[in-house]
Amino acid sequence: MTTHYLILSALLFAIGGIGVLIRRNAIVVFMCVELMLNACNLAFVTFARQHGNIEGQVIAFFVMIVAAAEVVVGLAIIVTIFRTRRSASVDDASLLKY
Amino acid sequence: MELYAPILVLAVLAAGFAVFSVSVAPFTGPKRWNRAKLDAYECGIEPTPQPVGGGRFPLKYMITAMLFIVFDIEIIFLYPWAVAFDQLGVFGLIEMVLFIVTVLVAYAYVWRRRGLDWD
Amino acid sequence: MNTITAPAIEYLQLAPLLIVFGAGILGVLVEAFAPRYLRRAMHIPLTLLSLAGAFALVIVQTIKGVPTKPSAMGAVAVDGPTLFIWGTILVLAFISLLLLNDEDHFVPAASAVPGSAEEERALIEGNVHTEVYPLALFAIGGMLLFPASNDLLIMFVALEVMSLPLYLLCGLARRRRLLSQESAMKYFLLGAFSSAFFLYGTALLYGYAGSVDLAKISTALSANVGQDALLFTGAALLGVGLLFKIGAAPFQAWKPDVYQGAPTPVTALMASGTLVAAFGALLRVFWVAIGELDWDWSPIMWGVAILTMVVGAILAITQTDIKRMLAYSSIAHAGFLLVGVVAIGDAKQNATALAAILFYLAVYGIASIGAFAIVTMVRDAGGEAWHLSRWAGLGKRSPKLAGLFAFFLLAFAGIPLTSGFFGKYAVFQAAVAGGAVQLVVVGVVASAVAAFFYVRVIVLMFFNDPAPDGPTVVLPSWGTASVVGFAALATVVLGVFPQPVLDLAQSAAGSLFVR
Repeated sequence: MTTHYLILSALLFAIGGIGVLIRRNAIVVFMCVELMLNACNLAFVTFARQHGNIEGQVIAFFVMIVAAAEVVVGLAIIVTIFRTRRSASVDDASLLKY
Repeated sequence: MELYAPILVLAVLAAGFAVFSVSVAPFTGPKRWNRAKLDAYECGIEPTPQPVGGGRFPLKYMITAMLFIVFDIEIIFLYPWAVAFDQLGVFGLIEMVLFIVTVLVAYAYVWRRRGLDWD
Repeated sequence: MNTITAPAIEYLQLAPLLIVFGAGILGVLVEAFAPRYLRRAMHIPLTLLSLAGAFALVIVQTIKGVPTKPSAMGAVAVDGPTLFIWGTILVLAFISLLLLNDEDHFVPAASAVPGSAEEERALIEGNVHTEVYPLALFAIGGMLLFPASNDLLIMFVALEVMSLPLYLLCGLARRRRLLSQESAMKYFLLGAFSSAFFLYGTALLYGYAGSVDLAKISTALSANVGQDALLFTGAALLGVGLLFKIGAAPFQAWKPDVYQGAPTPVTALMASGTLVAAFGALLRVFWVAIGELDWDWSPIMWGVAILTMVVGAILAITQTDIKRMLAYSSIAHAGFLLVGVVAIGDAKQNATALAAILFYLAVYGIASIGAFAIVTMVRDAGGEAWHLSRWAGLGKRSPKLAGLFAFFLLAFAGIPLTSGFFGKYAVFQAAVAGGAVQLVVVGVVASAVAAFFYVRVIVLMFFNDPAPDGPTVVLPSWGTASVVGFAALATVVLGVFPQPVLDLAQSAAGSLFVR
């Protein structure tokens, strides 16, 4: 039964991963990363159910906290760079190369 | 079914309180005219016609939102403790106090750096 | 009502961690309540004393004897390698902080738009973000926890505790604000992306073993036969996350950008402390959790090691920026270290390889902090002079500084009589003993290529004519001077008498990772 949830989680993870690679707006890229973290959470909770121990559920709590901290740090960085450049496109930030 | 009776009672109480206060307020409260009161409510923003592309919001909304996320999500650790605090005993209590004190340190920083002031 | 028994926590073993995190929290309180003019004066002793205190506790722990089982209910393993890594990280962090606290490397108001009136005002008022001290302490605490964590959840949390403050610190350079902000964004997006891979790998391994404890995953390897898909996908994803942190190819793209854009003291902290911590964690995952699978992962690790060495050494040649060049050199060194990771075998072989890696990490970390400290001293009107052409003829104008820089470069190249020689020798010797002769051949060739670009910089400094409007060499403060002095001294001493530290590394590695 849990297989469906795992497939869903893998799909979410893949959608997030592809989104990170093809989207250009830093905020959207970042939302895709968050989607990947949530896919991980789904996998953790599913495996916890499958194994019958609650370790996976506890891990999901920690992941949520870490994701929240990441949101705050990430948005702060993205907003600062947006205020400087008036753009949140990851293509525009290209001074550092070669 | 008996299991859900308290919830039902709570729902009735809550609804009763809401209906009671809304219906009593017009008779007891003072009536002072204010244009802002009659405007459509949009989370405190002045309802203006939106410019093309959605327009911009002031940065302070973002700071408030981020502070909300950080302090709101910390509650997640209180839930498991609240469910099992009697079994976790003194050790659990001390751990939670330490955790909350740590969060309070961050709160003190935000407060002292005027992160909670609107203007 | 069944009471849950309180977990046994060995506070003394965890004390170094607790001190560093505690000092970080105190630092936040200082930021909140101390008046602005007092903050710096309070942060400096708090930060340095906490690091020194943690170091003293590590020594006490080492003398008292290495614990033989993981502490805190199996969450954190304070074993021989951990204690050596902790000692190394604390020394590296201490000298990085001397560099960091030294001068105004940091922006007066991070939220102000570069070039705006707001920033101008902050500059005139003499604002500084003294938050960098607590941020650095949290990052260092994460670095300590990362290689010591004995289960994958703690490792993930430690990874984030280490990375999140570093993302912020990267964006705080006082000069060249755009580059700095860009490096912070790139580091953040790629770092978050890689930690998502790490986490999904953790989830799959949890699904495989029913636990995230490294030892339990290891025992599950023989018990659960026939779930290889979960196991291998999980291990691969976990590996991606870890290899990203050490900057191994093909996950090295962030390193040059971030090293260039970040304030140079932060780069020094990342190039030394983060690398040590990430290697510790990588070794723990690959040797403890999936060490039994070495037949499966070592071919891939071979490929990664070769690619990393080649990419690092060859791309470094094409660089025209001193910080980018040092970043590619750091990638190449990560490749040399991976050669040691592949040299897994029986217990004795593992101990030799581990000791070699630990020694290499320590000497490379110290030399790279020294090199970055010198980069902070060569200045143009717009800040540090990064372009290599600006360094031409530096040997004629300030021979002492150029001589020291040349010395650090020779240590990177692994020339005898520098510490780098023994580091490389030990790792390659362990790899030969482990049967990875071909890998060592590639390593030696890559070292030769790398030596070419180090020597090219030396030639540029000593045999080219200085530009008439060349960069100025600022008089170092006591902080920078002592960092450079300590790094140079350590590099010489470890190049001539490496034995005491090698012995220490061997005795630390002798007990291997506890399970």
